Amino acid sequence: MSKAITRRTFMNGAATAAAAAALAPQLGCARFLKSKPAAAVETREVATACEVCPNKCAVVAVVEGGRIRKLNPNPASPKSRGMLCARGNAAVKAVYDPDRVKQPLIRAGARGEGKWRTATWDEAWDFAAKHLTEIKEKHGPEAVIWSSTEGFQEEFFKNLGLAYGSPNILRHPTLCLASVNLAYSMTFGTVPSFDLLNADFVIMSGANRFESIITPDTMDLIDSTMNRKARLVYLDPRFTVTASKADEWYPIRPGTDMAFILALLNVIIGEARYDKEFVAAACHGFEELRAHVQRFTPEWAAGETEIPAANIRRIAHEFADAAPRALYYAGRRSSWYSNDFQMRRAQAILNAIVGSWDREGGVVPNSKIALGEYLYLPWDEPTAPRIDEMEERFPLAAKGDGVFLQARENVLAGKPYPVKGWMVYKQDPMSALPDRGRTQKMLEQMDFVAVIDTQMSDTAWFADVVFPESTYLERTDPLHMLPGIWPVVAIRQQVVAPIHDTKPNLEIVQGLATRLGLSDYFDYTIEQWLEEQAKELPIPNALEHLKRTGVYTAQGAPFYGSTRKPDHRFLTRSGKIELFSERLAEAGHDPLPAYTPPVQPPPGAFRLILGRKATHTHANSTNNVWLAEFAPSNDLWLNPVAADRLGVANGDLVEVRSDVGSVRLKARVTEEIRPDCVFMLHGFGKKSRTMRLAYNVGACDADVLVTAMDAVSGNAAFHETFVRVAKVGEAANA
Amino acid sequence: MEEIRWGLLIVSYLFLGGMSAGLYFVSALATYLQDGGQPAYPRIARVGAMLAPWPVAIGSFLLIFDLGKWYRFYKLFLHFEWHSPMSIGSWLLVAFTLVSLAYFWAWLPAKVIDSVVSRLPKRLRFLGIVAWPGREGLRRPLAMAGFPLAVGVGIYTGVLLGAVQARPFWNTNLVAQMFLFSALSTGCATLILALSLHRDDLEEREARLLYSIDIVLILLELFIVIPYIVHGALSPLAVRQALALILGGPYTFAFWALFLTLGLLVPLALELYEMKPVLLEKASLHPNRVLAGATAALVIIGGFVLRYVFVYAGQVSSFQ
Amino acid sequence: MRKELAARLGVRPKRHALVIDSRKCINCKACVVACKAENDVPLGRFRNRINEETRGEFPKLLASFEPEQCHHCASASCVRVCPTGASWQRRDGLVLVDTDDCIGCGYCIIACPYNARFFNEETRVVDKCTMCVHRVDAGQPPACVETCPTKVRVFGDLEAPDGRLRELLSTRRYVVKSPQTGNDPHIFYLL
Repeated sequence: MSKAITRRTFMNGAATAAAAAALAPQLGCARFLKSKPAAAVETREVATACEVCPNKCAVVAVVEGGRIRKLNPNPASPKSRGMLCARGNAAVKAVYDPDRVKQPLIRAGARGEGKWRTATWDEAWDFAAKHLTEIKEKHGPEAVIWSSTEGFQEEFFKNLGLAYGSPNILRHPTLCLASVNLAYSMTFGTVPSFDLLNADFVIMSGANRFESIITPDTMDLIDSTMNRKARLVYLDPRFTVTASKADEWYPIRPGTDMAFILALLNVIIGEARYDKEFVAAACHGFEELRAHVQRFTPEWAAGETEIPAANIRRIAHEFADAAPRALYYAGRRSSWYSNDFQMRRAQAILNAIVGSWDREGGVVPNSKIALGEYLYLPWDEPTAPRIDEMEERFPLAAKGDGVFLQARENVLAGKPYPVKGWMVYKQDPMSALPDRGRTQKMLEQMDFVAVIDTQMSDTAWFADVVFPESTYLERTDPLHMLPGIWPVVAIRQQVVAPIHDTKPNLEIVQGLATRLGLSDYFDYTIEQWLEEQAKELPIPNALEHLKRTGVYTAQGAPFYGSTRKPDHRFLTRSGKIELFSERLAEAGHDPLPAYTPPVQPPPGAFRLILGRKATHTHANSTNNVWLAEFAPSNDLWLNPVAADRLGVANGDLVEVRSDVGSVRLKARVTEEIRPDCVFMLHGFGKKSRTMRLAYNVGACDADVLVTAMDAVSGNAAFHETFVRVAKVGEAANA
Repeated sequence: MEEIRWGLLIVSYLFLGGMSAGLYFVSALATYLQDGGQPAYPRIARVGAMLAPWPVAIGSFLLIFDLGKWYRFYKLFLHFEWHSPMSIGSWLLVAFTLVSLAYFWAWLPAKVIDSVVSRLPKRLRFLGIVAWPGREGLRRPLAMAGFPLAVGVGIYTGVLLGAVQARPFWNTNLVAQMFLFSALSTGCATLILALSLHRDDLEEREARLLYSIDIVLILLELFIVIPYIVHGALSPLAVRQALALILGGPYTFAFWALFLTLGLLVPLALELYEMKPVLLEKASLHPNRVLAGATAALVIIGGFVLRYVFVYAGQVSSFQ
Repeated sequence: MRKELAARLGVRPKRHALVIDSRKCINCKACVVACKAENDVPLGRFRNRINEETRGEFPKLLASFEPEQCHHCASASCVRVCPTGASWQRRDGLVLVDTDDCIGCGYCIIACPYNARFFNEETRVVDKCTMCVHRVDAGQPPACVETCPTKVRVFGDLEAPDGRLRELLSTRRYVVKSPQTGNDPHIFYLL
């Protein structure tokens, strides 16, 4: 493993000259030997983990003369399989982005006006601590929300909120994958991974893996479908890159995926093509399931989904035949419809009954690698109830994550109690939440808003104080374990010293903690933290190994079948895989997925759907100059049939109007989308004037998205927005 | 997308280089043809010699200026890459420019030299030696020596384009000849224009020589252009697609209206009209100064448009 | 004859080339950004690109993505037309630009059938894919090859008898682009 790194001396002038001389017969010309000896520049390579998106690919940073020259893939990680995507490569430009926040800033004008004064760290910390203390004294610690998105340093921020006494820790899952995780947890007792590398038959609802890159799923899916001829059936209202590579693509009517799955269940159970042994041994509630799916025939499903019944039946046969190397891919961002939880439940149930659980090519529970834990001083549990009323409204949802949209609505309503402060880490709710107008109102309602971020996001734009965090290439983070079929421990170590007056999150937290009287809970350094974590790893000098190679991997081949032992007890109430869930019934939800047809857009209106592009990550990369070369703006995808009806030509400026707002952007008339849908890419139309490449460019989807949630998990439902589209300008003048 | 790398600077150079080649060619011909031991058309020869070096000199400056690093132009003369039309052309250009400057000197009227030298300060008056009368004897040898160089400069501008397989609009074996005849015609027309602007009238025999040369050259051009289009339309797809650029594409008007009609056919008709007495009635022609000037101007504009169309359309055409 | 002599001396000449499996390309642009980062390519300019094509009418649609860059042709027209010899070809097949001798005349840019070259406004000379020659000579693959998530490009020595390129080109059908120009391009596209 170390060979992979030490061989990399390509920037060393001496080595190049030596290699050139040794290869002289190949070069054939004195020209190349008149090498200009490279000026003796200090070059070093540092292994670390990328942070542009949540995949955490292993990366080797090449530093030349104190400046990051290039980011190369690290072949040592089985998770990223020796690759680095466009965003990972472009991260160099994010570090040296002139628009970064370079020092703490305190608001000098009205909120959102964009007037700032620079401050020292002490000033900024004092300012924040003063407000936080005031709010705590007047309204109680629960009056401050602490919201963050996942990251290696997120724990420190969360802990500060808890130590401060607030129960209102809000994380991003209910804006993303809370519904799919809960669905699989309630079925299998755990959230599994999908062995795409070895599967023979894969069905995907959305989860556009060839544009929405997840490692190693994206690479494994190309490998199995292109090298091994695995079959891919893909359902999506849009003709995405994944659609272009699938064996069968169905432009399914939006929101009807559950009907498709129920019909597969109907055929596979009705024709006895399921894994009888496995069902008998490990599944609970099969008879109820059998009775439940009897009426969901392919003919019925064809009417709902617009997929021909014969195809549904054939796919069911092929899927069952290919089992156990068959899987219905769960997807990751499951924030589509308000019935998403139940739809993912149906998937999980299907996966269960064909017996592909915990087998090669199937749905596999994650393996883990144990890390040590730094034992810090514990604090008292916060006593106040949560602002999002999770216990009452979403009792099954993950407590530590909260329900973001419910929290916002409650804050705006001032119930069950007033919230006066908002601490934000590594998150941009102004972009991430639907109905940006309401998020802005929530910000404006606060007495105090502080944001910790590497760039002036739209949320930071509306804050009272911005604490600039060092980018991931400028700091050392805790070790992070990535569970999966090929589990990995990743290290993130500082590549270059911070180029501006920024700090890692831990130090920002410690600065606040000191002034809040909470320093006892944070009296450690990052090095001490790392030492404790590394102690559990079963190799000597684990930390050295990690610093040198970037990853620690479990030895040997992936392990299947650990849960298939006869006496295995699943982490569910029945101890088995729950096809039928009493817990759901008790909570007042359908114990088996019940189908209601989705509400259709009113005549002449469109459903707005969202999705990803391989060159951008959410809303955080649109200011990157190298990535902007490919997609400098977003546009509205519109089918030609619809465009004709509206008199819109390609490139015309159109207005998109929903119940909550309207935006303007250029139309892209394309065959690649259903006539009843429109699409726009996320992350544009920013309000933050310092994000010069994205400020006012294109449109912000959040301005038109309505607030809707999945009833069981509280996950946001982003595809429930209906819009009207009208032309407002010609292509030439737009 | 194919972008335009060679723009108006290159088009201008090709035009000006061709003009110099043509001026030299006609002047050399006028020197070579003798009438009792003297050049048969001394005014044509002299005016041509006076004008010949300057268009190519200006063109060469434009060329150097167009380079990515203009100050590296000297590197062209540290190498001779026989497989590169541009390398051969650079050497040809230098040789031609030097010879045409010598030819200019050989034809420079003595009184012009005297009037310049007499204005110089005393210590520079020795430069009057430049008016050495032996120059006259060099005129014919220089004309003959420069002849192939002029033809070379005229041809190589076409080879420069024609040798590029990647550009189907250019890659025919007719482009070199097309550019040569256009260059000679442009040079001839420049002489007609110069003489039509001269204070002395055009002599009948001068007009007859120049018109005859130009008519022949225009006919030769037509003999090249027509097969170029016809054969191109019967060629593989890439060539046909390239030709579409002038058969309905963005360069159609420039090619047919400006070049073919105004630059070739109309001047041909006008020149034939002027030559009608000679050709049909065996009488002498009466050169009309205005008509001559207008005809010449059209040919010159046509020559520029030809190079514009070829250089631009060629870069747009491709095999992909 | 050179090959026989080389064989007798026990020296096997290398021929570096690329094999591309476009079916695997997902148009993620990782290769374009990696190249830009590795080679200081100016904004708005690219040493490599993905040719995109979408055809059809909803719902019968097709999209294909084809990576392309300098083909390092065996009979490169860009080398032939260069008036200073700045455009030259190494014995291992890589076509390079000597930035000391390039005068920026642009002839090679026009002579390339593949639009692989461009004028670099920052260095003021001609620029193009060098197959990351500095990496190749240090035993590493070009940046575009290394970074690709779906391993679309395979780089190696065409002459190596047990090499991956030989294996692929002996067992799979392939084409080259625009062979009729006679440049003998050395990017092989698997079908």
